[in-house]
Amino acid sequence: MQLLVSKHIVTEHEAEAASNSYLMSLIAIIGGLPLPIVNLIATVIFYFGNRKSTWFVRWHCTQALLSQLSLFLMNSYGFWWTIAIAFTEKEISGNYIAYLITIFIFNIVEFVATIFTAIQTRKGKHVEWWFYSSLTNLVCKA
Amino acid sequence: MMKVVFQGLILVFLFFGLWFLMDKVDWINLFRIEKLTYKTEQKLGNVFWDAIIKTENELTEKEVVLAVDNMMSNVCIANNINTTNIKTHLIRKDEVNAFALPGGHLIIYTGLINKVENPEELLGVICHELAHIELQHVKKKLLKEIGLSVLLSITTGNAGSEIIQETVKQLSSSSFDRRLEKEADIKSVDYLIAANVNPKPFSDFLNRIAEDSPEIDKNFSWISTHPDSKERARYILEYSQKHKGQYVQVMSIVAWDQLKQKIAE
Repeated sequence: MQLLVSKHIVTEHEAEAASNSYLMSLIAIIGGLPLPIVNLIATVIFYFGNRKSTWFVRWHCTQALLSQLSLFLMNSYGFWWTIAIAFTEKEISGNYIAYLITIFIFNIVEFVATIFTAIQTRKGKHVEWWFYSSLTNLVCKA
Repeated sequence: MMKVVFQGLILVFLFFGLWFLMDKVDWINLFRIEKLTYKTEQKLGNVFWDAIIKTENELTEKEVVLAVDNMMSNVCIANNINTTNIKTHLIRKDEVNAFALPGGHLIIYTGLINKVENPEELLGVICHELAHIELQHVKKKLLKEIGLSVLLSITTGNAGSEIIQETVKQLSSSSFDRRLEKEADIKSVDYLIAANVNPKPFSDFLNRIAEDSPEIDKNFSWISTHPDSKERARYILEYSQKHKGQYVQVMSIVAWDQLKQKIAE
């Protein structure tokens, strides 16, 4: 993660909108914890709502969305695996617990990074995540 | 672009690497997750068998038991199944039924032997139940319908006799789900072919009982717990026709007649 000074002056409204894009996924975690798709839907809605916004807002909405997308894939697999154990003849295995712990670690890292980024962007600072920022730069042109 | 791909690959590697490392820990023992082990399955089987023997009349006639055991052994040996893991029991009862219990107990009612027309038909049904045992269907069914906690309470002697009787009833008079039944049917054909036994009589038996179905009464448990006999007969025949082999007679006509006679006595 890289903390950068924004190239242009970020207005109060921009900082708030960019920060909200990260907060959106956190609120969705509280609201729809058992269903991983809720977080993704929340960030997708926010992303589309800010498509015509300034580059700073769009960039952070995209970074939030992309990070949620990869988490969504990991969590969904874990979710359906759990459903299969609960309702079919599949049994709890060491491999399943290992998977749950792995996605838990990834979720915690993402959670901390999201809170940190939400705070920093609210201050108008530009935070770039490893891998996701490069990907966002490809998607979100200035 | 290369940077993104490279970083993405590192992230993927990190994820699977972490999963791989986590998998090295024995979480099942660490969290003390209770599982239905081989030992508990054996215990369960013995509890259920004890409950059955209290109310039913076991047929212990040496010649009959030996004849059925021989048939079983041939199939087991041809399919690399450990014969000591399978305990066959014959019960004197008019019900046309055969079912599997946990721990490799296979119960056959004399009503079934009376109903079949030849030993190949009987072996077909036996192989079907054997497949349920070998494919762990009994364990899966019990876990799904009874639940792990009840099963463990049965093995520790904390469950009442009513629960045990009810579970035995469930095992003897209710079917597995459609997918498991088909799996057992296909596996039974494999067993028969490996033992050089023609699977067609098994299919014929299913066809015959499908035609008899309007007369199905409470004495026809195996049929009522195994619905769609016609459909099953069709795919069994279809599957077995893919394998052309030289089939042998399971038992001579004289020996079969003697067996039936002994049972009738």
